[in-house]
Amino acid sequence: MAKKSALSRRASDSGKEDLKKKKKKKGQVGPKAASMKAVAPKPNPFETIWSRRKFDILGKKRKGEERRIGLARARSIDKRKKTLLKEYERSGKASVFVDKRIGENNEEMGEFEKAILRTQREYKVKLNKKNKFNLSDGEDDDYDDQEGVGFLGRDDFEDEGIPDDDEGDDGDARTGKSQRLSIFSKQLEGPDFSNRTGGDLSPGEENKHKGKKEVMEEIILKSKMFKAQKAKDKEENEQLMDELDKNFSSLVQSEALLSLTDPGHMKALKALVNKSLPQDALEKDNMSSSTKGESTLQDVPDAYDKLVKEMSLDMRARPSDRTKTPEEIAQGERERLAELEEERQKRMLATDDNSDEDDDGHEAENSVALKSRSISGDDLGDSFALEEQPRRKGWVDEILEREAAANSSEEGDDFSEESEGAEEDSGAGSSDEHSDEDVKKCSIKDWEQSDEEQFDQDSDDNDEEDDVDESVKHEKKSVSEMRKRDEAVAERKNSQTQTKPALTQAKSLPYLIDAPKSLDELNVLLENRSNSEIILLIDRIRVSNAVAIAAENRKKMQIFYGVLLQYFAVLASKKPLNLELVNMLVKPLIEISMEIPYFAAICARQRILRTRTQFCELIKSTEVSSWPSLKTIFLLRLWSMIFPCSDFRHVVMTPVTLLMCEYLMRCPLLSGRDIAIGCFLCSMVLTLTKQSKKFCPEALMFLRTLLFAATDRKITNRNSQMFDDHMELRTVGPLLRFNEGSVDIIPLKFLELMDMPEDAGYFSSDSFRASILVSVVETIRGFINVYRDLIAFPEVFSPISNSLLEVSRQEKMPAKLKQIMDDVARLINEKADECYKIRRPLQMRKQKPVPIKLVNPKFEENFVKGRDYDPDRERSERRKLKKLIKQEAKGAVRELRKDNYFLLEVKEREKAELEQEKAEQYGRAKAFLQEQEHAFKSGQLGKGRKRRR
Amino acid sequence: MGRPFAVKGRKRKHKEKYDADSGEEGGHSERKELKLDEDRGWASGEGEQSRQEDETKAEEALEGIPIIPSQGVGEKRTGVTFVLERASLEVAKVGKTYQILNSDDHANFLKKNGRNPADYRPDIIHQALLAILDSPLNKAGKVRAVYVRTEKGVLFEVKPHVRIPRTYKRFSGIMLQLLQKLSINASGKREKLLRVIKNPVTQYFPVNARRIGFSYSSEKVVEVHDYVASVSDETPLVFVVGAMAHGKIEPEYTDDLIAISNYPLSAACCINMICDGLRRHWKFI
Repeated sequence: MAKKSALSRRASDSGKEDLKKKKKKKGQVGPKAASMKAVAPKPNPFETIWSRRKFDILGKKRKGEERRIGLARARSIDKRKKTLLKEYERSGKASVFVDKRIGENNEEMGEFEKAILRTQREYKVKLNKKNKFNLSDGEDDDYDDQEGVGFLGRDDFEDEGIPDDDEGDDGDARTGKSQRLSIFSKQLEGPDFSNRTGGDLSPGEENKHKGKKEVMEEIILKSKMFKAQKAKDKEENEQLMDELDKNFSSLVQSEALLSLTDPGHMKALKALVNKSLPQDALEKDNMSSSTKGESTLQDVPDAYDKLVKEMSLDMRARPSDRTKTPEEIAQGERERLAELEEERQKRMLATDDNSDEDDDGHEAENSVALKSRSISGDDLGDSFALEEQPRRKGWVDEILEREAAANSSEEGDDFSEESEGAEEDSGAGSSDEHSDEDVKKCSIKDWEQSDEEQFDQDSDDNDEEDDVDESVKHEKKSVSEMRKRDEAVAERKNSQTQTKPALTQAKSLPYLIDAPKSLDELNVLLENRSNSEIILLIDRIRVSNAVAIAAENRKKMQIFYGVLLQYFAVLASKKPLNLELVNMLVKPLIEISMEIPYFAAICARQRILRTRTQFCELIKSTEVSSWPSLKTIFLLRLWSMIFPCSDFRHVVMTPVTLLMCEYLMRCPLLSGRDIAIGCFLCSMVLTLTKQSKKFCPEALMFLRTLLFAATDRKITNRNSQMFDDHMELRTVGPLLRFNEGSVDIIPLKFLELMDMPEDAGYFSSDSFRASILVSVVETIRGFINVYRDLIAFPEVFSPISNSLLEVSRQEKMPAKLKQIMDDVARLINEKADECYKIRRPLQMRKQKPVPIKLVNPKFEENFVKGRDYDPDRERSERRKLKKLIKQEAKGAVRELRKDNYFLLEVKEREKAELEQEKAEQYGRAKAFLQEQEHAFKSGQLGKGRKRRR
Repeated sequence: MGRPFAVKGRKRKHKEKYDADSGEEGGHSERKELKLDEDRGWASGEGEQSRQEDETKAEEALEGIPIIPSQGVGEKRTGVTFVLERASLEVAKVGKTYQILNSDDHANFLKKNGRNPADYRPDIIHQALLAILDSPLNKAGKVRAVYVRTEKGVLFEVKPHVRIPRTYKRFSGIMLQLLQKLSINASGKREKLLRVIKNPVTQYFPVNARRIGFSYSSEKVVEVHDYVASVSDETPLVFVVGAMAHGKIEPEYTDDLIAISNYPLSAACCINMICDGLRRHWKFI
């Protein structure tokens, strides 16, 4: 007991001391800092060495640098002293002294805490049941009551009480006491106590100490304040509203709003203001006043309301008729025509000669025709805006126009008959071919039909769609040509209507016509009709048998197309050429062939085949001119307009081009007319190749031949190797050489030339030569423009430029012609120079050097050091573990080594101590012996005894 | 299980020898090479002759057509070496990640740490590397090696057949990995394309190399083409170019410090000029 009390006293003493200390240094960081200081009060100079960092990385936390190697070493030595050294010391001993004092083994605990723990334990033991009835010493109890708990109470209090207002220590102590008292004796709580605390504490500090009364008072106060606030807010709101109202009324009176709103609204607004102003005094709620204003507004109907009402009464938009399909349009057209036909029949029965009405009808028909055209052809009728008509085309047109104006000189019809015969022949040939293909026997007359049947089979078999596609393509590609043609046609029409107004008012035309099945039928139908009437008739036939209406109409139209083509050919070969009609026929032909492209192509091919065989026959006899007839030329022109000439390979256009080239190549030049035809063919070839840029050497060769014909120096030409032999064969003589110097150059009239006999005087005139040469040079210019991108341009054109220069160097050459030729020659030379510049010389061993092979580096997008980027997860995991093991093993080895060093050191020290002790002992013994010896020797044996005594 | 030993391939230690002049083994290999060269020289000499004959024939045959000198594929020359000094490649921990510092993205960070943002220009080294490795000189295999030394003194080697990433972002990624991992492998191979190596850089130069430094401050302004022509073909060349924004290179090991323009040039432009001069000197296109 005594021991315990002593212990507790000591603890309490130390506690007191500590408490005081603590109070003094409030700003101290923590107990740990204090303990650290206690451990290392004086800095060991070795322990202040910091670890050195090899690479300074910006922004890296300096965590590693806080480690002090020296300090760490010292600590580890300390630790070893406590553990390893103890063990070592104990290793030679059998029994162990165990210190079982509370908290003695715990390193972290300070003296004070240990004392606390110990007192607690003591107190607990005292409260045991056993000790309940033990009489206390009195002294002890007192102590416990006041001081033992005092520690706790004070300690607790300190935590929360210190940050308070600065009350004196006395006050603190007092409150602390009171608290303690309240904790220990709750039933003793008196009114004076509570009063005192209540008076002391400020009202917001602790709710615990508020009385019931106080709380109630507070609540009441709060509710009162709330009410006052509410009233105040309300008042403010009202004031604000008044102000707004005033502002608004002033605004209404001002000009600004007046200008912004309509007068009707204005009135309403004013009414609103006037009404609301007097009411303002009485009514405070603005909402009610505004509603009233609205009601007044409703009384006076203003423009807006009216508008709304009108709108509500308005008719809804009706859905319009859907756009008609082409079939429906065609059907409607046909029905309309049928109606007209019926009317006409009636009129015919009633009054025979009604010229006025007829005239009207004619006009109506005209309009109908126009309308139908605008519907059937996409945009063909009304596209007159075509300024970029090419040069050569213009020239041809010019010629044609002249021809139309002249319209002269009659010849026999035998040629036309001949052509007819040819037609029949062709029919036979084609039918033969088809009988070869199909086993069917067909008559000569309806070869077109057989064609058509075949076509039907074909289409059934495979390519209906192909057909359609083709037609579409044709449409697109031939639009430009058709436009040109159309323009010509339109012009023709206009001129006709102006120059010859209604030559013959023929008998009235039928509206609904069946498609004629043969040329005879067509001839009967078109007999003695004017040009416009013929076109009208054809239009009507087309409308009444439109392909879109019925399936069998396709067949009819195909037959009709064949017939129409035949009619065209016949017309072209007639001697008093009806050029106007020919021109007008072009348009329906183009349109029909767009509807039935496959059949049109077949027709064209048959005709080309026939023309070719004819040509082969003809060229055998050298006397007759084998150049194509006007009919053939017209047909060729027609096809070039119908079919696209820019296709790489086309069923019609490729043979057409080949045929033209063959003409240019093989036909001998016998007369001036041949030259003119050749020229025309050349210009046609130019138009064909303009888009596709196909190279056509025959035309160029022909042009060169013509130039050659314009020179007189045959011998020099023969010397040059560039010239072909057969070119010389073809030229009879210098047909185009000038005899006189000055000639005026006039554009040629091609059809006129065609009509002339072969030996006409005009062909040997200088003006003809000049015009031909001009056209030749212009054609060459066109070819230059087309072939300018060819790589072989210099090689192709340099001989031409040479011959051009040669021709222009002649004495009698007209100055104007000379200039043109020189121009073209210069153009050729410039282009050739450009080509030369582009050319690269050949290289020996031309091969690109092989560059070194590049290798891509492998790296990660967001590389983090230490992370394993091995895709094999297991492997990386294993590697990580291995690394850990290695690390740990290394650490363990290091520790063991250090332990060994430590133990070695200790042993060494012990040994050294032992040695020293031994040496000391030895020294002492030796000294003693020496002393004895000395004494013995000196004879002072008794002296020592004396001394001891 | 780990890979068998043979798969890993031979160790670099055995394969590559950096300072070939020291050590017996290097000498041996050199001798072997010489022998090879002799053989090749004999064969190529004959080829040369026949080619010349061909050319004369061609000249006779086609008059007026200019004969372009055929690309000299042969002519085994020692390649040139580039050293890029003072490259600003510094790794720092910005936020939680490590990054290569550059003046655009880390201006605030640098200011906070009391550095001048204008000094941190890793794009210069990027451009310079691209200029070297994309030059026809390199494509023709005439670049022996490229060494880069950073401001911090880290030296790394770039193999001439590396394809450096074109975008800066990827480049900085690769540099970051290089500076932390100390080497970058080829994708799909175990070859090391970029590798941090030991200083000083001179130990990696070929023997008798002529080391040429470039600086705007130099008094000696020359045309690259002429300068290269004045040096004999046998001496290997080492070009030392600075890859920093401000200042000049001050390496102790250069034999010569020249300027190739009267204007201050960027590193990439300077390298382009050097490459072009060499290309003209060696006459290939």
